[in-house]
Amino acid sequence: MSFADWFEERLALDRFRARYLGKPFPVHPTFFLGEIALFCFVVLVLTGLYLALFYEPTIESVSAGGAMVPAAYASVLLIDAHPLGTLIRRIHHWSAHLMIGALALHMARVFFTASYRKPRELNWVLGLGLMGFTIAASFAGYLLPYDQFSVTATGIGYGIARTAPWVGGVVADFVFAGRFPSPSTVPRFFAYHVVFAPILLGALIVVHLLILLKQKHTEAPAYAAADTSGGRQISGIPFWPQQTVLMAVLFIVLLAAVSALSAFLPVHPSAYYGPPVLATPEVKPDWYLLWVYGALRLIPGDMSFRLLGATIGSEAIGAMLVPGVIALAILLVPWLDRAPSSLYYAEDPLKSPGRLAAGMAGITLIAALSLAGFSSELKLSVPVLWMITVTLPVAVGSVTYLLAARRRRDSITSGSGRI
Amino acid sequence: MDRRRFADLSLKTGVVAAVAAAIPGVVTLRGRVRASASQAVAEGDRLVFALGQNANQPVTEGSFTQNEAVLAFPEGKVDNHDNLVLICKLNPAMMKPPTDLAGTAGGIVAYSAICTHLGCTVRFSEEPMDMAPFPHIHCPCHAALFDPHQGAQVLGGPAPRPLPQLPVRLGERGEIIVAGPLTGPVGVAT
Repeated sequence: MSFADWFEERLALDRFRARYLGKPFPVHPTFFLGEIALFCFVVLVLTGLYLALFYEPTIESVSAGGAMVPAAYASVLLIDAHPLGTLIRRIHHWSAHLMIGALALHMARVFFTASYRKPRELNWVLGLGLMGFTIAASFAGYLLPYDQFSVTATGIGYGIARTAPWVGGVVADFVFAGRFPSPSTVPRFFAYHVVFAPILLGALIVVHLLILLKQKHTEAPAYAAADTSGGRQISGIPFWPQQTVLMAVLFIVLLAAVSALSAFLPVHPSAYYGPPVLATPEVKPDWYLLWVYGALRLIPGDMSFRLLGATIGSEAIGAMLVPGVIALAILLVPWLDRAPSSLYYAEDPLKSPGRLAAGMAGITLIAALSLAGFSSELKLSVPVLWMITVTLPVAVGSVTYLLAARRRRDSITSGSGRI
Repeated sequence: MDRRRFADLSLKTGVVAAVAAAIPGVVTLRGRVRASASQAVAEGDRLVFALGQNANQPVTEGSFTQNEAVLAFPEGKVDNHDNLVLICKLNPAMMKPPTDLAGTAGGIVAYSAICTHLGCTVRFSEEPMDMAPFPHIHCPCHAALFDPHQGAQVLGGPAPRPLPQLPVRLGERGEIIVAGPLTGPVGVAT
């Protein structure tokens, strides 16, 4: 009896193979974006396991290089002092950037192809949750090196939490374990980043993929014409062996890419930022939070309103209301889109001018808010930035709509002309 | 009492007891505050340098020239971040209400250094800007602007309130002594 047969007999692997290994995967470059995010998560967990061996989650003062610095900061300098340590820390950092970038592109792909429609609303909502928790996990990770950048970013986060209406002060103290800067915050954020984040993200990813397995991918619209079974037939390459090989290649290419980035481009150099001091340095958040940062700069201090006994001030409007409304709009996309939907096929993005225009306007809005984060560098005043933030998305949306509508009209007329 | 009712009641009692028992545990999530971190600034405190070579040495009238500022703490109360103040030396002729002029000394005025927007440490700047063509206080985080000549009123940007002023007077050897309580709550409003 062969080795494989021994397992075969006990685990009935042929049934498993028949059921799952033949799962067809559509072949299109944009269908790899989610996988890239997943692989980044795997790389983050693996590099995180290594970093956790050296990191000290405490801000007790220790002596390093002749000065007293927080132990957390000193341990990160120690990691950076070793060639392997610094490489792994950079890979960890770059993977986080790539994961959020891949998630954003994945979301854009699902949006523009209308793949969020019934019955896939659940995975849209879960996906948005994954995006939110990934950003939250990164934010918790910001604090850990305990350098000037870390302390400034987390201090602002604490300030934002405090401005939450009605419950702000209490919630901020619960989340940050006391008034920041408190010695309890680093151990708490270490737990968030190292224990809670991987478990939560891992669980959400599993559910996201199980739902995908159950509901199947949407297929490229080109397949619709070839399908004679009314959608019951799914085209694509099987999970084993073709898709598995593609995934393995993708994983290796991704690893090569982040390694190359990490080898040549330093990311978050803690020694450069230096240990925390009382003066606040001029820092900007990472690119994926620049839009919130820009919104905070745009809302003037005298803008506020009262709601049920709470004052909603400029800080809460910029950091919570604006991002909250944008997140809610994204969350409700499957319910706002009333166009008749196909269970099986993705839509050609160019065929639906309304959706295309809304998506482009949304992306422009995020870009315009991010631009406002550079108001000092660009020497643009707040009123000018307000103009840009309001008019540019509308302009981009309108132009997109007109172009896409004309293209659709042309294709319909040329089509009927042929008939 | 029949068995179904007994089981039902046991379950409900258990849930209530478990929730009640969990509350003290959950409350500990709020974190601890070191006693030294809750010492508030008080009248009579001497202000000392917060940073640099002179850290913990008293700030005196002669420590800085006009249109300069230093970050300072009340002596012995450095663990409470909210006690951080920015002492500015300004042209006395330019100072007007709502500055508490009685709480200034020869152009020396102290404000909380914690931005009222989101709690970053503010900076003093001499460089004229469009919105502040005179020495001013700004926040490096989200570009809030304050006018130290007029009670740190908001000149522009996102800050919702002026920086609270800390009234000061000069001591016998020119030290800067706290002369009264801060004129408002420090930092981010809740």
